[in-house]
Amino acid sequence: MGDKPIWEQIGASFVQHYYHIFDTDRTQLGSLYIDASCLTWEGQQCQGKTAIVDKLSSLPFQKIQHSITSQDHQPTPDSCILSMVVGQLKADEDPIIGFHQIFILKNINDAWVCTNDMFRLALHNYG
Amino acid sequence: MAERPMWEQVGTSFVHLYYQRFDTSRVELSALYTDASCLSWEGQQFQGKTAIMEKLMSLPFQKIQHSITSQDHQPAPDNCILSMVVGQLKVDNDPVMGFHQLFVLKNISDNWVCTNDIFRLALYNFA
Repeated sequence: MGDKPIWEQIGASFVQHYYHIFDTDRTQLGSLYIDASCLTWEGQQCQGKTAIVDKLSSLPFQKIQHSITSQDHQPTPDSCILSMVVGQLKADEDPIIGFHQIFILKNINDAWVCTNDMFRLALHNYG
Repeated sequence: MAERPMWEQVGTSFVHLYYQRFDTSRVELSALYTDASCLSWEGQQFQGKTAIMEKLMSLPFQKIQHSITSQDHQPAPDNCILSMVVGQLKVDNDPVMGFHQLFVLKNISDNWVCTNDIFRLALYNFA
């Protein structure tokens, strides 16, 4: 009936929610993670909700705006959801820059939380 | 004794092998997928090794070369490994382009196979 698969609905919902909170008040992202969550931010690893929120809250910009170019969602073998986002962001007065982010979502006690999060800016070593 | 974590070793090894095969003999990528694997290629979904290989073998270029800018690996739920790659590729005589790809790897009978693969070119809707 043209309904999107559940993993797409949940993935798209999460992605929208994540960037909304990130752009308005990223100190509130804590509820999306658990103590077993891993974040890799530009190659730096953070483990657990507290460390992750510390890292995100301490990023050195005042304003940020994300714009999503594409998002893809897939079911994983053990009933998790895999989401990949390609987009652009603008932090303070810096030029717009591309970014790439992925999330793994897991259903724990009826809530979808993020167990894995990886973020990279789209910077290349032109070679 | 600063050995890299296992998921980093396995992830790095897989990524190296994947692009090596892709660039020299992409028919050999078949061994890296199973009948339960999912591929999203530029937003198009493919399910299972056969469909995935049909798609990869039908891509319209003669030569391709991938160059990895960054790769990140994390342990994922259910003893899987999550790998994210940012890089550039050159197809035939086209200009170099950025790409983003992610893999979820699962150990099945002592072999690490790819259960999830998502690929996007780094093209943005410049807003």
